[in-house]
Amino acid sequence: MRMKEIVEELSAVPLCEPAGWEELGVGSVFASDLISDILVSEGEDQLLLTSLTSPQVVRTAALVGAVAIILVHRRQTPPGLEAAAREQGVPLFRSTITKFEACVRVARLRDSK
Amino acid sequence: MSDVPLPVDENSLRIQELAYGLKVRHVMTTKIFAVTRQCTMREVQAIMKSNGVSGVPVVDGGHVLGMVSMHDILNAYELGHLQDGVAKHMSSDVQTLSDEVPLTFAISAFSRYPLRRFPVVNKKNELVGIVTPRNINLALIRELSRQLTEIEEQGTVSAREGESAVYHRVYRLDRYDFEHAGNASAALKRELKQRGISPKIIRRAAIASYELEINIVAHSHGGSFTHFIDGHRVRITANDFGPGISNVEKAMTEGFSTANDWIRSQGFGAGMGLPNAKRVSDEFEIQSGVEMGTMVKSIIYLKEESSHENQ
Repeated sequence: MRMKEIVEELSAVPLCEPAGWEELGVGSVFASDLISDILVSEGEDQLLLTSLTSPQVVRTAALVGAVAIILVHRRQTPPGLEAAAREQGVPLFRSTITKFEACVRVARLRDSK
Repeated sequence: MSDVPLPVDENSLRIQELAYGLKVRHVMTTKIFAVTRQCTMREVQAIMKSNGVSGVPVVDGGHVLGMVSMHDILNAYELGHLQDGVAKHMSSDVQTLSDEVPLTFAISAFSRYPLRRFPVVNKKNELVGIVTPRNINLALIRELSRQLTEIEEQGTVSAREGESAVYHRVYRLDRYDFEHAGNASAALKRELKQRGISPKIIRRAAIASYELEINIVAHSHGGSFTHFIDGHRVRITANDFGPGISNVEKAMTEGFSTANDWIRSQGFGAGMGLPNAKRVSDEFEIQSGVEMGTMVKSIIYLKEESSHENQ
Protein backbone atom coordinates (compact mmCIF):
# COMPACT_ATOMS: atom_id res chain seq x y z
CA MET A 1 0.00 0.00 0.00
CA ARG A 2 1.11 3.54 -0.66
CA MET A 3 0.56 6.26 1.92
CA LYS A 4 -1.31 8.31 -0.68
CA GLU A 5 -3.97 5.59 -1.11
CA ILE A 6 -4.46 5.17 2.61
CA VAL A 7 -4.74 8.90 3.24
CA GLU A 8 -7.37 9.15 0.49
CA GLU A 9 -9.25 6.12 1.80
CA LEU A 10 -9.52 7.71 5.26
CA SER A 11 -10.18 11.22 3.94
CA ALA A 12 -7.31 12.33 6.15
CA VAL A 13 -6.09 15.91 6.39
CA PRO A 14 -2.33 16.46 6.30
CA LEU A 15 -0.73 18.12 9.35
CA CYS A 16 2.89 17.50 8.48
CA GLU A 17 3.93 16.56 4.96
CA PRO A 18 7.62 15.86 4.46
CA ALA A 19 8.51 15.76 0.76
CA GLY A 20 7.74 12.47 -0.93
CA TRP A 21 5.32 11.10 1.67
CA GLU A 22 2.81 10.09 -1.01
CA GLU A 23 5.06 7.38 -2.31
CA LEU A 24 6.03 5.90 1.05
CA GLY A 25 5.22 2.19 1.19
CA VAL A 26 3.27 0.79 4.14
CA GLY A 27 4.09 -2.83 5.02
CA SER A 28 2.10 -3.14 8.23
CA VAL A 29 -0.37 -1.21 10.31
CA PHE A 30 -0.51 -0.87 14.08
CA ALA A 31 -3.53 0.62 15.82
CA SER A 32 -3.11 1.49 19.51
CA ASP A 33 -3.60 4.16 22.12
CA LEU A 34 -0.97 2.82 24.49
CA ILE A 35 2.51 4.28 24.20
CA SER A 36 4.18 1.17 25.63
CA ASP A 37 2.49 -1.05 23.05
CA ILE A 38 3.47 1.27 20.21
CA LEU A 39 7.03 1.30 21.51
CA VAL A 40 7.41 -2.47 21.31
CA SER A 41 5.41 -2.98 18.10
CA GLU A 42 7.64 -4.69 15.58
CA GLY A 43 6.16 -4.20 12.09
CA GLU A 44 8.29 -3.28 9.10
CA ASP A 45 7.40 -0.02 7.35
CA GLN A 46 4.68 0.45 9.87
CA LEU A 47 1.84 2.96 9.79
CA LEU A 48 0.47 3.99 13.16
CA LEU A 49 -3.24 4.61 13.71
CA THR A 50 -3.96 6.23 17.05
CA SER A 51 -6.27 8.65 18.78
CA LEU A 52 -3.52 9.91 21.08
CA THR A 53 -2.59 13.50 20.32
CA SER A 54 0.31 14.28 22.67
CA PRO A 55 3.72 15.10 21.21
CA GLN A 56 4.84 11.86 22.86
CA VAL A 57 3.04 9.83 20.25
CA VAL A 58 5.17 11.45 17.54
CA ARG A 59 8.36 10.83 19.47
CA THR A 60 7.43 7.22 20.12
CA ALA A 61 6.59 6.67 16.45
CA ALA A 62 9.95 8.19 15.47
CA LEU A 63 11.77 5.97 17.96
CA VAL A 64 10.30 2.82 16.44
CA GLY A 65 10.84 4.14 12.90
CA ALA A 66 7.16 4.31 11.91
CA VAL A 67 6.50 5.40 8.32
CA ALA A 68 3.70 7.79 9.25
CA ILE A 69 0.97 8.53 11.81
CA ILE A 70 -2.72 8.98 11.15
CA LEU A 71 -4.68 10.38 14.08
CA VAL A 72 -8.13 8.85 13.97
CA HIS A 73 -11.46 10.06 15.32
CA ARG A 74 -10.03 13.54 15.75
CA ARG A 75 -11.45 16.84 14.57
CA GLN A 76 -8.80 18.92 16.23
CA THR A 77 -5.27 18.48 17.46
CA PRO A 78 -3.46 20.39 20.19
CA PRO A 79 -0.74 22.87 19.28
CA GLY A 80 2.73 21.42 19.52
CA LEU A 81 1.85 18.18 17.82
CA GLU A 82 2.60 19.39 14.32
CA ALA A 83 5.83 21.00 15.45
CA ALA A 84 6.89 17.71 17.03
CA ALA A 85 6.14 15.89 13.77
CA ARG A 86 8.16 18.39 11.74
CA GLU A 87 11.03 18.12 14.18
CA GLN A 88 11.07 14.34 13.86
CA GLY A 89 10.30 14.37 10.14
CA VAL A 90 7.32 12.05 10.58
CA PRO A 91 4.36 12.45 8.17
CA LEU A 92 1.25 13.21 10.22
CA PHE A 93 -2.43 13.18 9.23
CA ARG A 94 -5.78 13.56 10.89
CA SER A 95 -9.01 11.76 10.10
CA THR A 96 -12.45 12.08 11.67
CA ILE A 97 -13.20 8.41 11.03
CA THR A 98 -13.25 6.16 14.11
CA LYS A 99 -10.33 3.89 14.81
CA PHE A 100 -12.34 0.75 14.13
CA GLU A 101 -13.70 2.07 10.84
CA ALA A 102 -10.22 3.26 9.84
CA CYS A 103 -8.85 -0.24 10.53
CA VAL A 104 -11.63 -1.82 8.46
CA ARG A 105 -10.97 0.48 5.52
CA VAL A 106 -7.21 -0.02 5.58
CA ALA A 107 -7.69 -3.79 5.82
CA ARG A 108 -10.00 -3.76 2.79
CA LEU A 109 -7.47 -1.73 0.86
CA ARG A 110 -4.75 -4.20 1.81
CA ASP A 111 -6.85 -7.21 0.80
CA SER A 112 -7.70 -5.66 -2.55
CA LYS A 113 -4.01 -5.72 -3.43
CA MET B 1 8.66 17.59 47.64
CA SER B 2 12.01 18.09 45.96
CA ASP B 3 13.95 18.71 49.15
CA VAL B 4 17.04 17.76 47.28
CA PRO B 5 17.57 20.49 44.71
CA LEU B 6 18.69 19.04 41.43
CA PRO B 7 21.49 20.96 39.83
CA VAL B 8 20.52 22.48 36.53
CA ASP B 9 23.72 22.56 34.51
CA GLU B 10 25.25 19.47 33.02
CA ASN B 11 28.55 19.69 34.87
CA SER B 12 27.01 19.55 38.30
CA LEU B 13 24.65 16.82 37.12
CA ARG B 14 27.72 14.81 36.19
CA ILE B 15 29.21 15.22 39.62
CA GLN B 16 25.93 14.27 41.17
CA GLU B 17 25.81 11.24 38.96
CA LEU B 18 28.95 9.97 40.64
CA ALA B 19 26.82 9.32 43.65
CA TYR B 20 24.70 6.85 41.74
CA GLY B 21 27.53 4.46 41.04
CA LEU B 22 28.42 4.24 44.72
CA LYS B 23 26.62 2.27 47.37
CA VAL B 24 26.40 3.22 51.01
CA ARG B 25 28.85 0.46 51.94
CA HIS B 26 31.52 2.07 49.71
CA VAL B 27 31.19 5.29 51.64
CA MET B 28 30.44 4.47 55.26
CA THR B 29 33.05 4.29 57.96
CA THR B 30 33.37 0.84 59.48
CA LYS B 31 35.21 2.21 62.48
CA ILE B 32 32.23 2.20 64.83
CA PHE B 33 32.15 3.13 68.46
CA ALA B 34 29.04 1.38 69.70
CA VAL B 35 27.88 0.73 73.25
CA THR B 36 25.48 -1.69 74.86
CA ARG B 37 22.48 -0.55 76.86
CA GLN B 38 24.31 -1.33 80.10
CA CYS B 39 26.61 1.65 79.51
CA THR B 40 26.05 4.98 81.22
CA MET B 41 25.73 8.36 79.55
CA ARG B 42 29.04 9.36 81.14
CA GLU B 43 30.79 6.44 79.46
CA VAL B 44 29.32 7.47 76.14
CA GLN B 45 30.47 11.01 76.70
CA ALA B 46 34.02 9.73 77.35
CA ILE B 47 33.92 7.69 74.13
CA MET B 48 32.78 10.75 72.18
CA LYS B 49 35.48 12.91 73.66
CA SER B 50 38.39 10.54 73.15
CA ASN B 51 37.42 9.49 69.62
CA GLY B 52 36.09 12.75 68.26
CA VAL B 53 32.65 11.36 67.36
CA SER B 54 29.34 13.10 67.93
CA GLY B 55 26.99 10.15 67.84
CA VAL B 56 27.19 6.64 69.25
CA PRO B 57 24.87 3.76 68.41
CA VAL B 58 23.49 1.55 71.16
CA VAL B 59 23.46 -2.09 70.12
CA ASP B 60 22.32 -5.45 71.34
CA GLY B 61 23.81 -8.46 69.58
CA GLY B 62 24.65 -6.35 66.54
CA HIS B 63 21.18 -4.84 66.23
CA VAL B 64 20.76 -1.10 66.63
CA LEU B 65 18.51 -0.18 69.56
CA GLY B 66 19.11 3.54 69.55
CA MET B 67 21.49 6.43 69.04
CA VAL B 68 23.03 8.74 71.59
CA SER B 69 23.95 12.13 70.16
CA MET B 70 25.92 15.00 71.66
CA HIS B 71 22.56 16.65 72.13
CA ASP B 72 21.33 13.76 74.32
CA ILE B 73 24.52 14.03 76.40
CA LEU B 74 24.00 17.75 76.93
CA ASN B 75 20.40 17.21 77.98
CA ALA B 76 21.39 14.49 80.45
CA TYR B 77 24.18 16.73 81.76
CA GLU B 78 21.80 19.62 82.34
CA LEU B 79 19.50 17.38 84.31
CA GLY B 80 22.40 15.82 86.21
CA HIS B 81 21.63 12.40 84.72
CA LEU B 82 25.01 11.45 83.34
CA GLN B 83 25.15 8.39 85.59
CA ASP B 84 21.99 6.99 84.01
CA GLY B 85 22.05 4.07 81.61
CA VAL B 86 21.91 5.04 77.94
CA ALA B 87 18.54 3.37 77.40
CA LYS B 88 16.82 6.21 79.23
CA HIS B 89 18.27 9.00 77.10
CA MET B 90 18.96 7.56 73.68
CA SER B 91 16.71 8.22 70.71
CA SER B 92 15.18 4.85 70.07
CA ASP B 93 13.40 5.85 66.90
CA VAL B 94 16.41 5.16 64.73
CA GLN B 95 16.47 5.49 60.99
CA THR B 96 19.00 3.07 59.54
CA LEU B 97 20.27 2.70 55.98
CA SER B 98 20.96 -0.56 54.23
CA ASP B 99 24.58 -0.98 53.11
CA GLU B 100 23.44 -2.03 49.63
CA VAL B 101 21.42 1.06 48.68
CA PRO B 102 22.81 3.71 46.33
CA LEU B 103 24.54 6.66 47.92
CA THR B 104 21.82 8.93 46.59
CA PHE B 105 19.40 7.37 49.07
CA ALA B 106 21.69 8.46 51.88
CA ILE B 107 21.86 11.97 50.41
CA SER B 108 18.05 12.04 50.26
CA ALA B 109 17.85 10.78 53.83
CA PHE B 110 20.12 13.56 55.08
CA SER B 111 17.96 16.18 53.44
CA ARG B 112 14.80 14.57 54.77
CA TYR B 113 15.72 13.96 58.40
CA PRO B 114 17.38 16.45 60.71
CA LEU B 115 20.12 13.94 61.51
CA ARG B 116 23.87 14.14 61.18
CA ARG B 117 24.58 10.44 60.84
CA PHE B 118 22.89 7.18 59.98
CA PRO B 119 23.78 3.74 61.28
CA VAL B 120 24.26 1.37 58.33
CA VAL B 121 23.01 -2.20 58.57
CA ASN B 122 23.53 -5.32 56.47
CA LYS B 123 20.88 -7.75 55.22
CA LYS B 124 20.66 -9.37 58.66
CA ASN B 125 19.96 -5.94 60.11
CA GLU B 126 23.29 -5.90 61.92
CA LEU B 127 25.23 -2.69 62.39
CA VAL B 128 28.13 -2.58 59.93
CA GLY B 129 28.97 1.11 59.68
CA ILE B 130 28.06 4.75 60.11
CA VAL B 131 27.57 7.27 57.36
CA THR B 132 27.95 11.03 57.81
CA PRO B 133 27.94 13.93 55.34
CA ARG B 134 31.71 14.03 55.74
CA ASN B 135 32.03 10.40 54.56
CA ILE B 136 29.92 11.29 51.56
CA ASN B 137 32.03 14.30 50.63
CA LEU B 138 35.25 12.35 50.90
CA ALA B 139 33.86 9.47 48.86
CA LEU B 140 32.65 11.81 46.12
CA ILE B 141 36.03 13.49 45.88
CA ARG B 142 37.74 10.09 45.74
CA GLU B 143 35.35 8.85 43.07
CA LEU B 144 35.69 12.05 41.07
CA SER B 145 39.43 11.74 40.91
CA ARG B 146 39.22 8.03 40.08
CA GLN B 147 36.85 8.73 37.18
CA LEU B 148 38.99 11.58 35.91
CA THR B 149 41.97 9.25 35.74
CA GLU B 150 39.83 6.69 33.96
CA ILE B 151 38.61 9.23 31.40
CA GLU B 152 42.17 10.36 30.75
CA GLU B 153 43.30 6.77 30.23
CA GLN B 154 40.35 6.00 27.97
CA GLY B 155 41.16 9.09 25.92
CA THR B 156 44.66 7.80 25.32
CA VAL B 157 43.44 4.33 24.39
CA SER B 158 40.78 5.64 21.97
CA ALA B 159 43.26 7.93 20.28
CA ARG B 160 45.68 5.04 19.86
CA GLU B 161 43.27 2.41 18.65
CA GLY B 162 40.98 4.71 16.73
CA GLU B 163 37.96 3.41 18.66
CA SER B 164 34.81 5.49 18.69
CA ALA B 165 34.84 7.99 21.49
CA VAL B 166 32.93 7.61 24.69
CA TYR B 167 29.49 9.25 24.59
CA HIS B 168 28.23 10.54 27.91
CA ARG B 169 25.14 12.67 28.36
CA VAL B 170 23.34 13.60 31.53
CA TYR B 171 19.87 15.10 31.49
CA ARG B 172 17.76 16.62 34.19
CA LEU B 173 14.13 15.53 33.96
CA ASP B 174 11.24 17.29 35.67
CA ARG B 175 8.03 15.85 36.94
CA TYR B 176 5.19 15.85 34.39
CA ASP B 177 7.32 17.55 31.75
CA PHE B 178 5.83 15.51 28.92
CA GLU B 179 6.66 18.38 26.60
CA HIS B 180 10.34 17.39 26.58
CA ALA B 181 10.22 13.78 27.72
CA GLY B 182 11.54 11.51 25.01
CA ASN B 183 14.08 13.98 23.65
CA ALA B 184 16.97 12.32 25.43
CA SER B 185 16.00 8.93 24.01
CA ALA B 186 15.70 10.42 20.52
CA ALA B 187 19.23 11.80 20.88
CA LEU B 188 20.48 8.37 21.97
CA LYS B 189 18.92 6.78 18.94
CA ARG B 190 20.57 9.32 16.62
CA GLU B 191 23.95 8.74 18.22
CA LEU B 192 23.70 4.94 17.90
CA LYS B 193 22.62 5.28 14.28
CA GLN B 194 25.60 7.48 13.55
CA ARG B 195 27.84 4.84 15.03
CA GLY B 196 26.44 2.29 12.62
CA ILE B 197 25.00 0.06 15.34
CA SER B 198 22.55 -2.59 14.09
CA PRO B 199 18.89 -1.49 13.97
CA LYS B 200 17.83 -4.33 16.29
CA ILE B 201 20.13 -3.14 19.03
CA ILE B 202 19.21 0.50 18.48
CA ARG B 203 15.59 -0.52 18.87
CA ARG B 204 16.21 -2.24 22.17
CA ALA B 205 18.22 0.68 23.50
CA ALA B 206 15.49 3.09 22.39
CA ILE B 207 12.80 1.06 24.16
CA ALA B 208 14.72 0.82 27.44
CA SER B 209 15.72 4.46 27.31
CA TYR B 210 12.28 5.78 26.48
CA GLU B 211 10.47 3.72 29.12
CA LEU B 212 12.92 4.79 31.82
CA GLU B 213 12.83 8.43 30.70
CA ILE B 214 9.03 8.47 30.80
CA ASN B 215 9.05 6.78 34.20
CA ILE B 216 10.98 9.64 35.78
CA VAL B 217 8.64 12.22 34.27
CA ALA B 218 5.42 10.35 35.03
CA HIS B 219 6.15 8.83 38.42
CA SER B 220 8.94 10.63 40.25
CA HIS B 221 9.55 14.05 41.76
CA GLY B 222 12.19 14.51 39.07
CA GLY B 223 15.63 13.14 38.61
CA SER B 224 18.54 12.68 36.32
CA PHE B 225 18.94 10.49 33.31
CA THR B 226 22.21 9.33 31.83
CA HIS B 227 23.41 7.72 28.63
CA PHE B 228 26.84 6.24 28.39
CA ILE B 229 28.18 4.52 25.29
CA ASP B 230 31.62 3.04 24.78
CA GLY B 231 32.87 0.50 22.30
CA HIS B 232 30.97 -2.35 23.93
CA ARG B 233 27.76 -1.23 25.52
CA VAL B 234 25.06 1.34 26.08
CA ARG B 235 24.36 2.08 29.72
CA ILE B 236 21.16 3.89 30.62
CA THR B 237 20.67 5.06 34.18
CA ALA B 238 17.60 6.69 35.62
CA ASN B 239 17.86 8.16 39.09
CA ASP B 240 15.25 10.05 40.99
CA PHE B 241 14.77 11.42 44.47
CA GLY B 242 11.49 9.82 45.27
CA PRO B 243 8.84 8.93 46.15
CA GLY B 244 10.32 5.45 45.68
CA ILE B 245 8.58 2.20 44.85
CA SER B 246 7.10 0.40 47.82
CA ASN B 247 6.95 -2.97 46.09
CA VAL B 248 9.55 -3.39 43.36
CA GLU B 249 8.41 -6.91 42.51
CA LYS B 250 4.90 -5.63 41.79
CA ALA B 251 6.25 -2.76 39.74
CA MET B 252 8.13 -5.28 37.61
CA THR B 253 4.89 -7.19 36.92
CA GLU B 254 3.34 -6.63 33.52
CA GLY B 255 0.12 -4.66 33.76
CA PHE B 256 0.73 -3.31 37.25
CA SER B 257 0.59 0.47 37.28
CA THR B 258 0.15 3.27 39.78
CA ALA B 259 -0.40 5.86 37.06
CA ASN B 260 -3.20 8.37 37.63
CA ASP B 261 -5.97 9.10 35.12
CA TRP B 262 -4.18 12.05 33.63
CA ILE B 263 -1.05 10.01 32.89
CA ARG B 264 -3.24 7.29 31.41
CA SER B 265 -4.99 9.83 29.21
CA GLN B 266 -1.57 10.58 27.73
CA GLY B 267 -1.29 6.98 26.60
CA PHE B 268 0.95 5.87 29.47
CA GLY B 269 0.32 3.77 32.53
CA ALA B 270 -0.20 0.41 30.82
CA GLY B 271 2.07 -1.12 33.44
CA MET B 272 4.57 -2.20 30.79
CA GLY B 273 7.33 0.33 31.37
CA LEU B 274 9.70 -1.51 33.67
CA PRO B 275 8.90 -4.98 32.27
CA ASN B 276 9.58 -3.72 28.73
CA ALA B 277 12.82 -2.06 29.78
CA LYS B 278 13.98 -5.23 31.52
CA ARG B 279 13.03 -7.49 28.62
CA VAL B 280 15.18 -5.62 26.12
CA SER B 281 18.18 -5.25 28.46
CA ASP B 282 21.18 -7.52 28.68
CA GLU B 283 21.72 -6.40 32.26
CA PHE B 284 19.07 -4.76 34.39
CA GLU B 285 19.14 -3.51 37.95
CA ILE B 286 16.56 -1.68 40.01
CA GLN B 287 16.76 -0.39 43.56
CA SER B 288 14.23 1.68 45.34
CA GLY B 289 13.68 3.13 48.78
CA VAL B 290 10.41 4.70 49.82
CA GLU B 291 10.90 8.45 50.35
CA MET B 292 14.47 8.05 49.11
CA GLY B 293 14.38 7.41 45.42
CA THR B 294 14.73 4.87 42.70
CA MET B 295 17.72 3.88 40.63
CA VAL B 296 17.34 1.85 37.46
CA LYS B 297 20.24 0.72 35.33
CA SER B 298 19.91 -0.93 31.95
CA ILE B 299 22.84 -2.19 29.92
CA ILE B 300 22.63 -3.27 26.31
CA TYR B 301 25.59 -4.88 24.57
CA LEU B 302 26.51 -3.46 21.22
CA LYS B 303 27.86 -6.69 19.78
CA GLU B 304 25.09 -8.77 18.29
CA GLU B 305 26.55 -12.20 19.12
CA SER B 306 26.93 -11.50 22.81
CA SER B 307 23.57 -9.90 23.21
CA HIS B 308 20.06 -10.68 24.22
CA GLU B 309 18.64 -14.07 23.33
CA ASN B 310 14.99 -13.10 23.29
CA GLN B 311 15.31 -10.69 20.43
